[in-house]
Amino acid sequence: MTTQNLVLGQADPPRQARPRKRGNTTPYLLVIPACGILILALGYPLVWQFVTSMQRFGLSQQFGQPPEFVWFDNYVTLFTDPYMWTVVARSLAFCLVTAAVTMAIGTLMALLMNAVHTSVRITLQISMLLAWAMPVVAAMTVWNWLIDWRRGVLNSVLTGMGLDFQNHNWLADPLSFFFVAMVIVVWMSVPFVAFSIFAGLTQVSTEVLEAAQLDGATLSQRLRFIIVPIIRPVLAIILLLQVIWDLRVFTQIRLLQDVGSIASETNLLGTYIYQLGVGSSDFAMASAVSIFVLVLTVALSWFYVRSMLKEDES
Amino acid sequence: MKRKLVSLAALATASALVLAGCSSSADGGTDASTDNSGKTITLWLAGGDTPDKMRDYLKSEFAEQTGATLNIQQQDWGDLVTKLTTSLPDANNTPDVAELGNTQSSTFANVGAFLDISDMYEELGGTKLLQSFVDAGMVGDKNYALPYYFGSRAVFTRSDVWAAAGVEQPTTLDEFNAGVAAINAADPLGIPDFSGFYLGGQDWRNGISWIFANDGELATVKDGTWTSTLASENSLKGLAQLQKLYKSASNAPNDAKDSNQYIYLNDSDEIKDAEGVVTSNTSLSAATIMAPTWAHLSIGTLGTDADGKATRTWDDTKNEVFALPGNDGKPAPVFAGGSNIGISAKSKNPELAKSLLTIIYSEDYQTMLGQNGLGPANSDYVDSLGDDQFAQALIESASNSKLTPAAPGWATVEGSLVMEEFFSKIEGATDLKALAKEYDEKLTPMLNGE
Repeated sequence: MTTQNLVLGQADPPRQARPRKRGNTTPYLLVIPACGILILALGYPLVWQFVTSMQRFGLSQQFGQPPEFVWFDNYVTLFTDPYMWTVVARSLAFCLVTAAVTMAIGTLMALLMNAVHTSVRITLQISMLLAWAMPVVAAMTVWNWLIDWRRGVLNSVLTGMGLDFQNHNWLADPLSFFFVAMVIVVWMSVPFVAFSIFAGLTQVSTEVLEAAQLDGATLSQRLRFIIVPIIRPVLAIILLLQVIWDLRVFTQIRLLQDVGSIASETNLLGTYIYQLGVGSSDFAMASAVSIFVLVLTVALSWFYVRSMLKEDES
Repeated sequence: MKRKLVSLAALATASALVLAGCSSSADGGTDASTDNSGKTITLWLAGGDTPDKMRDYLKSEFAEQTGATLNIQQQDWGDLVTKLTTSLPDANNTPDVAELGNTQSSTFANVGAFLDISDMYEELGGTKLLQSFVDAGMVGDKNYALPYYFGSRAVFTRSDVWAAAGVEQPTTLDEFNAGVAAINAADPLGIPDFSGFYLGGQDWRNGISWIFANDGELATVKDGTWTSTLASENSLKGLAQLQKLYKSASNAPNDAKDSNQYIYLNDSDEIKDAEGVVTSNTSLSAATIMAPTWAHLSIGTLGTDADGKATRTWDDTKNEVFALPGNDGKPAPVFAGGSNIGISAKSKNPELAKSLLTIIYSEDYQTMLGQNGLGPANSDYVDSLGDDQFAQALIESASNSKLTPAAPGWATVEGSLVMEEFFSKIEGATDLKALAKEYDEKLTPMLNGE
């Protein structure tokens, strides 16, 4: 299935091995700058963070006092703190639900774009591009106005429909806070998902679909047995990206917290790290949580990446 | 020959500076003839409280006295602690002089972020400087940060709504508590969710006044160790009054913070429909709020200034300002606002930075602070605040105002939002004492910087 490889941007490896000269160091030399930049840009912060997570590092250390090395003390404190696990569970639930909803809506949008007339499709695409291109802070300001408890248009519309939503504060209750946050995150991520899947859909050959139709396959059968298997690699990679992004979500939650809600009840991993590090100047603990999030992300995506690679090989 | 002259000049400058530092005269400006022209120092001001004309004055006066350039950068209050944390330790990026919240200064003084300026203390005003702010910037018996200006919190009301509800201006805290509850129950204008006293659930900066007014403390210190005392008998009295206010006098959301609550006193922002017809003026939703005294600039009738910017004009027939009364005849102790100022320990031009401080603490500048509604650091110049009702409310409420604990970890407490969290739980608490104890246990280690 060449479409899969095309989508993933991988070409078949050349069958014939080129003759190799022994001792030719030029390729390695050429690779050094790229590796160096990678190590500097990614490796250094990672190592620093790992080392810091095993020290006591607070404001005094920031001002030059030598940090005390405490090995895994911070991790022990962290893993025995029930609040930390609350935040982890909350973040996982939020990330999985948000990613699933984003994928569902994104797929439907892509199918819609594939089905409608060109002019309608371009209108859809432009409006989604605008949502995608909107700076997060600007978008969040507008969202905050929409859901404002006193003068927000949302409450006004709901009250106008005869429901009692006058002065309803959406951010006070953690559940409705996360609902609002999810709507905003989904709104911002759907365009990317829709465009990517739409690109995948253009790879589905019309001949196959027509043949299936002639054989009497219904619309849902064509979707389930032909379209989805063909675009599965695209779906897989986008779902993976969404899960990772939604696990690390920060800006939207932080800006909503500025407007309302009680921070300790609405912290996700991102805002928790921020509160520990920037808020409380406990840089060591913040580093420890960051390292944990890194491990969590790798664990979450590990099976996924492996199964994707396997599928690719077969 | 030329080099010799330069070094002679340098020596002269140095000795002039040393002499200026030793002398206790107030005019400690350095000799303008020495060559500082290539040098620049940076001053960080927090928020927009210092008006532009005062910034211009500082720049020109500094250039005149030292020959060097003063670069003023404004920082947001919101991320000030973050910026100070990252910039102060870095000699290449540090501001030479920085303004910061008075409650934040003890934390930074304790970690050695500021230069020891004990030798300048007398020259800059000595005991005339606001003592509680001076204390906040001290470690042991050394001065690291000094007061820049002070503010205080006062009660702002809609006197017309108070009158409509038939409630008189209170003279004691008990009367105040009962009065705002009565207005809340009466809701004379029939506005849904109207607050007799709008007090946000997370608004601890105003709420702690009730702890202080009942002789409670947030924390006490003994032999250098801080203990959080929310569960002390007196603090609990205040918390019980607060709980009652939250339940019976305030309809503010439980998650509202100390932020722009004065907008709820204004009735002139209107909601319009598509034809521009005013459909409702739900904006007015509180009869009473507490805010820093400079909030009066944002209360009143909407208008526009010469540049077309929206302005608010205080309306004496509708608005009133007074200091929160205590039960002992004095004003209730409210949270003292304001800021401190210090020289970065990593400053490359500490002598120039010291010259800037002498300008800030000069009579001219202190008077300008007062004229702009900011409480001057030096008590000799408090008269410059004038005698209008806002100045009176400021001076009266400041006379008994109180700072948050000068503990090494106070900035951490603020940064971690624990106080916000605690206050949000007061209204719904069935056992206030247990709640207060729970938070005492959280706060004590934070206060000690553990």
